[in-house]
Amino acid sequence: MSFSRRDFLLRSAGFVTVSAMVPKWSVAASRGFEAVEADAAASERTLVILELMGGNDGLNTVIPYADAKYGQLRSRIGIPSNTVLPLDSKLGLHPKMTGLKALWDAQRVAVVENVGYPNSSLSHFASRDIWHTADPSLVEHRGWLGRWADANLAGNGNPLSCTAISSSLPRTLLADNVQVPSFLTLATYSYQTDGAAAGDRNNQVNTFLKQSSQEYELPTAADAVGQLGEDAIASSNVLQTVGSGYVAAGTYPANSLGSALLLIAQIVNANVGARILYATYGGFDNHAAEDQAHDPLVQNVSDAIKAFFDDLDGHGKAHNVLLMTWSEFGRRAQDNASNGTDHGTSAPHFVVGDAVGAGIYGNSPNLTNLDSNGNLLVENDFRSYYGTILADWLKADSAAILGSGWPNLGFLNKRYV
Amino acid sequence: MSVRWDRAAAAHLARRAGFGGTPAEIDALLAMGLEAAVSSFVAYDTIENSALEADLIRLTTPAPPATTATYDLNTTSGIQKWFLHRMVFTRRPLEEKMTLLWNNHFTSGIAKVNDATLILKQNKTERSLAIDRFDDLVLAITKDPAMILWLDNRTNVKGRPNENYARELMELFTLGVDRYTQKDVSDLARALTGWTIAKPDAAPVSEYAFSFNAAAHDAGVKTILGQTGNWNADEAIGILLNATDARGSISGRFLAGKLWTWFVYHDPPDWAIAEIASVYVSSGHSVRAMLDHLFRMPEFYEPHSRQALVRSPVEYIVAPLRQLEAKTDLSTPVASLNPMGQSLFNPLDAKGWEGDLDWVNTGTVFARATYTNSLVTNRGATGTRIDVAALLAGKSLSTARDVVSALADRLGLADALPASQAVWEKYVDSKADGSRGYWTNTPAAVDQKVRGLLHLMLTSPDYHLC
Repeated sequence: MSFSRRDFLLRSAGFVTVSAMVPKWSVAASRGFEAVEADAAASERTLVILELMGGNDGLNTVIPYADAKYGQLRSRIGIPSNTVLPLDSKLGLHPKMTGLKALWDAQRVAVVENVGYPNSSLSHFASRDIWHTADPSLVEHRGWLGRWADANLAGNGNPLSCTAISSSLPRTLLADNVQVPSFLTLATYSYQTDGAAAGDRNNQVNTFLKQSSQEYELPTAADAVGQLGEDAIASSNVLQTVGSGYVAAGTYPANSLGSALLLIAQIVNANVGARILYATYGGFDNHAAEDQAHDPLVQNVSDAIKAFFDDLDGHGKAHNVLLMTWSEFGRRAQDNASNGTDHGTSAPHFVVGDAVGAGIYGNSPNLTNLDSNGNLLVENDFRSYYGTILADWLKADSAAILGSGWPNLGFLNKRYV
Repeated sequence: MSVRWDRAAAAHLARRAGFGGTPAEIDALLAMGLEAAVSSFVAYDTIENSALEADLIRLTTPAPPATTATYDLNTTSGIQKWFLHRMVFTRRPLEEKMTLLWNNHFTSGIAKVNDATLILKQNKTERSLAIDRFDDLVLAITKDPAMILWLDNRTNVKGRPNENYARELMELFTLGVDRYTQKDVSDLARALTGWTIAKPDAAPVSEYAFSFNAAAHDAGVKTILGQTGNWNADEAIGILLNATDARGSISGRFLAGKLWTWFVYHDPPDWAIAEIASVYVSSGHSVRAMLDHLFRMPEFYEPHSRQALVRSPVEYIVAPLRQLEAKTDLSTPVASLNPMGQSLFNPLDAKGWEGDLDWVNTGTVFARATYTNSLVTNRGATGTRIDVAALLAGKSLSTARDVVSALADRLGLADALPASQAVWEKYVDSKADGSRGYWTNTPAAVDQKVRGLLHLMLTSPDYHLC
């Protein structure tokens, strides 16, 4: 079904409520969702990225509770071993992460241990760019999923293929030929009009659509900008419609991460062909008083992910969604005198969804063999972490995006691979 | 071929050489004629601008008992406001337009430099040398503390060269990609060794200043673009800027392309590049001379040159503030930069923002509309706001068409598509249920429809372009 600017003009002529208009991409994307099985086409899969900004303390998230060395290194802010939520005989989740533990018990969590890259930069700035671009040499301009989007989504006309719930575009999604909208709330993803003239709003939105659909004589950028205006209204209408009547089937924490994952669940349920959805959550740079700051952070992460999957389960959507976490680095093995931790290297990350082969991938962090800065050694290169998701979830040529030589970590269930 | 100097041409010049003009400013340019109009932008150092400087001193000085200034120059938002304030209120718009260009060309990000004072210093350096001899600007930037931090020349020392600055100096700043070999990069890096920054031990980062560390400088023989000698950094920059190939000056063509892409349209034709590059050579690398030539070229005024550029978020903020003679404390504009995709002074990387259609996606289209909606619907006495009555003073508003033509003139949209004008007229005359016959010139109608129409015009494709 094609949908030209002219069709749009005709449909929007006269006085119509804009929500009656259905953009082409939402029709195509909603096809066949009911019949999806475990072997569903990869083109209907959604990847959710959760960035933990500031460098999450992996050792106080997935705790090597059976290692006596842990208690020595973390004499100030260590988590008592009798309080952790055991995953196996060596590792356990932070006691506040009961939500994620419930998902673990339901065989829906893979823990990938000691993820990082060689010669770790301890700079937030550099390390974040390295993770975003998957290029430790910092030559690559685009993000790793931006490169995937260029190869797989360019020209599909869908403004919601990739969306970031963020105040600005995360570089992971920076592409050459795919534009990625980023916004924090549904309210900001709409054409705002004069609050003191509510009765005039329909006129204003309709006029905006009409001025956006004019045909310009010269081959200027005006047509492209106008098309974006139309796409913006159409995609906003779809999302607003889903958002306004949405009944969440999970209890999201009342914070920015809860709001972001709720919005992501709404976008998934809008059936708009979303492939990559991105959320950020900050505050992890706990150089001091981590014993107070970190507990609520990991609890919020855990609770929000649990609510998100409860919500997807309630809407029958969980089978097509995979969530992964990352953070620019872990933290120093030894806590500091301010009851905090300084910048570190590798850390554990979570992959959550029906598709994972539940379990721990990698070893318990080696707390005796640290680098010259007192940081953990990397066990799993982050390109293996990314590459496993690219190859097995997105069914992409991961070597084309990341280079070759990064072993697949095998954390997705074979039924999905 | 000569330029047809009419009101539309004057408005085009004002949009490109500046940020767009008010009707009175366009009228004044029209009356001057082309030559004087171009000079009124380019010869800006003759324009009295002391009111702006006085305002900025007041706004950046704490007024007791307050301990922080209105624009706190120790913060990112403070220097963003300072720069936006200049763009909005200066009487020398080309000075700020060129500084904005250099801000994105010789760019440095505060995320890495981590000091607003140093970033501001770089901005002032770029402004002070904006249209002088290009060599002077390149040299000043090479010695700029923020740049030395941003591109790591601080760690470029004899025996352990860091090539980051050397590569970008050629690739991004002066010559363009593939105009040099890796050997040129290595030897240029050696010439730049020891060009670093220093400060007293106890002093804050903001006191970093350029410092030559002779002990870290590699005084050996280097070969740069075919020239062999014991080059230091000054000499190396001279080699880059005087390098030629079969088509003439390499840096001249590179800079001509940059200016053309910034002021005219993307994908410059070879003949235009050659013409402007020849001015670069004949003028001894004067950016002023290049601009003076460019703004008089008939090609600059051709129909395909108009509405050919996408306004950056900064330009999209500044233009309506100037054209609508808005009052602003710059708070809402600064808060709107990030959602629109241009965190001023914090580009993603050394390339700066790509611009053009990269500025717009469905999210930023909404972010732009959210900003302009707040601008035109703020009826309060503080913040960023317009004076509707003043905008319409002396205008006949008998019909919807009168309203459209008054506001289109105000925003430089008098040449928008006739179809757009008709759509706008229909809007002004539409009742809440969409039926016609609404418009009569009453205060309530003016308050609603003038604000609504301004918002529509500001979010039209025409206004996203310039």
